[in-house]
Amino acid sequence: MSWSRASFSALLLLFFFVIQESAISKINFPISGFSLYLCVLLGLMALEDRFGAIALGFIGGIILDLSPSSDSPFGKWSLILTLVGYLFSRNRESIGDFTERPLAFVLFVSAGATATLLIFLIFGIILGENNGAVLTNLQTVIGNGIWTLLFSSILLPGLVKLREFTLTSRERI
Amino acid sequence: MAGGGNNRSRLLLVILLVTSLFLITLDLRGVSVTKNSRNATQSFLAPIQRGVSDLFSPVGNLFSDIKNFGKTKAELRDLKRENAKLRKKVILNKDTTGQLKKLKNVLNLAGRGSYKVVSARVIGKGSSSTFSQTITIDAGSNDGVKKDMTVMGELGLVGVVKSTTSTSAIVLLMNDPTFRIGVRIARSQSIGVLMGEGDNSYTLQLLDPSGSIEKDDVLLSLGSDNNKPFVPGLPVGYVKDVKNTSATLTQEASVRSYSNLGSLGVVSVIVKSSNGGPKDALIPRPTPTPTTTIYVTQSPAPEVSPSPSSKAKN
Repeated sequence: MSWSRASFSALLLLFFFVIQESAISKINFPISGFSLYLCVLLGLMALEDRFGAIALGFIGGIILDLSPSSDSPFGKWSLILTLVGYLFSRNRESIGDFTERPLAFVLFVSAGATATLLIFLIFGIILGENNGAVLTNLQTVIGNGIWTLLFSSILLPGLVKLREFTLTSRERI
Repeated sequence: MAGGGNNRSRLLLVILLVTSLFLITLDLRGVSVTKNSRNATQSFLAPIQRGVSDLFSPVGNLFSDIKNFGKTKAELRDLKRENAKLRKKVILNKDTTGQLKKLKNVLNLAGRGSYKVVSARVIGKGSSSTFSQTITIDAGSNDGVKKDMTVMGELGLVGVVKSTTSTSAIVLLMNDPTFRIGVRIARSQSIGVLMGEGDNSYTLQLLDPSGSIEKDDVLLSLGSDNNKPFVPGLPVGYVKDVKNTSATLTQEASVRSYSNLGSLGVVSVIVKSSNGGPKDALIPRPTPTPTTTIYVTQSPAPEVSPSPSSKAKN
């Protein structure tokens, strides 16, 4: 992962973070809310190699830790998303190139978003946080997974194209 | 080559995990750097949220509107026709009137309780992925809003101010799982603790095992020292269901809040409360149902005029 791509990805994530915090979170989605930010972050992570996915997970986590509405300790998201980045890259290597398999890409990102929120909840329990009723939390996790599945099919092709601009000629080969 | 790449990745993974754990430790130990960074983000986001709020206010409930779309086709067609005529006028007015109505109700309640309030618009909602229930309001420390002040809506308690910037504040809603408030049952004066559960239901735990609790009992806030974080006497909710479990030492009940936290447009932050609070002045009274009274009066019988034949006989 080149520095230019890392900076571009960080800027892109910041942009989507602002959209998530100021606009998307204002919409009352049925079942539960949708995290556009997680969808984009996991989409970008799925396209990177192992080193890139881990680094991007950490950068994305730090940005998400800045969320003023978050009640969890600063660093929790970066810890979780770094781990998710690692797990993502491990599984991705066995699946292959996502750019040629859009359906697998969408399913992978949706499953990733669901898994990330579940890990977040489990870490919360380990850290002694009170996350509320189990059923409500499950509803949030499942709801977010469904919305990610629906929206990622629209978003991810654009994300792949956007990322192609940042690839060096060597990486394109 | 691949082995070298894997080692590099593993090293990076370990470094970043340790960094994250270090950040978590710093935050849990109360180092202000992490807290300030969130405040700085809020200061940056508040103007954007305020701008987007106007744009998203009408589409916030878009999905629930869509859900009811196919109910009555004919009715919808008529409404569509009518709507087309008024759309231009109404779109902006509707939002403003709704907020004005809510503001009026909030101020009415605040007036009855002799609270000095700062009213604010809700400009943002906490992301669902954080599992915490918060809103962002467009009033901050410049308007006299401080941390741990009570926030009320048109029907009662909404939450408490969690943090402030100069122009905005984050409010922890009462349905957040970490939210706790001391409450008093208006009927029996028993006291207890109300806990948020993340959705629209709450759990009430009575402190006194012999205390009395019944369905539809009204709960008022108990109040805190120097009215922080809670002022006394503010309506919180009503008892929906009493849980009769012999396994627990204290009595428990399910509670429903008066405030609809899903559709908050305008709220008020209580910056000052009268000494002693409003006592029971804010207990919601049931709205009287109008009764129809029908008066039956006897109409006068029509006078019978003598017929011409009878005149002739006379």
